[in-house]
Amino acid sequence: MSVDQAVFAFAGSIGSVGAVIAAAHRDPRASGTALAVTLLSLAVLYAGLAAPALAAVALALAVFVTLPLIVHLTVAAPRVHIEGGPSVAGAGLLIGAALLAILLSAVAMGEVPMNVSVRSSDGYDVSALRDGVTGRGLVATGTSVVALAAAAMVAIGVGRDRRTPR
Amino acid sequence: MTTTAYLSIAAVLFTAGALGTLLRSSAAGRLIGVELMLAAATLTFAAAGAGFRELDGQVAALIVVAAGVAHAIVGSALIASLREPR
Repeated sequence: MSVDQAVFAFAGSIGSVGAVIAAAHRDPRASGTALAVTLLSLAVLYAGLAAPALAAVALALAVFVTLPLIVHLTVAAPRVHIEGGPSVAGAGLLIGAALLAILLSAVAMGEVPMNVSVRSSDGYDVSALRDGVTGRGLVATGTSVVALAAAAMVAIGVGRDRRTPR
Repeated sequence: MTTTAYLSIAAVLFTAGALGTLLRSSAAGRLIGVELMLAAATLTFAAAGAGFRELDGQVAALIVVAAGVAHAIVGSALIASLREPR
């Protein structure tokens, strides 16, 4: 049995069992955990299909979207209530618009390489992707990181100020 | 591995998701069932793209992933709003 076959057998069996548990278990916490495990095993299967970009997206979504949603739905929330203050949705829109403007300006200035090949038959242009993050796209990447860090710090500060007992 | 093996895994995922959606009574259980079916569709697109040696399958899979994320966020928000005491 080759390494590819072993990885497929392991990830496929984990994914199948996890899917059955996620669909059949009555406890929503166990069911959600099984769903997250299934999605992670699917990321491994995508990597076996020569789709590393899809595997990375699936992995990031399982870790940063599915798991927080499971925790949000299954873990009891603290008894705090947010009243008044600026709209969080409006702040999110502003942050998203700022990041989109940064990305568009970076594309217009030629900072982001648009000719990166992701066709598997051509081989992945890893050096171009690396340049996109560390070389030519360093301005866009650094500015986005600074903007996200500032937004996170402001959100944490606003959240501390606005928590009042119900 | 052959494309058929990946499609078999996708079939298992879709069947489990469909049964979970149809048989579970809770909203969270049905949401998880739909997520499983979307994951099966994503795996099917990716496997078909690899089988035909085309990038279109991966692009379609990314679109399905984006739709799944939107569905999960909206569904969890609906469930949270239903659970919130009035």
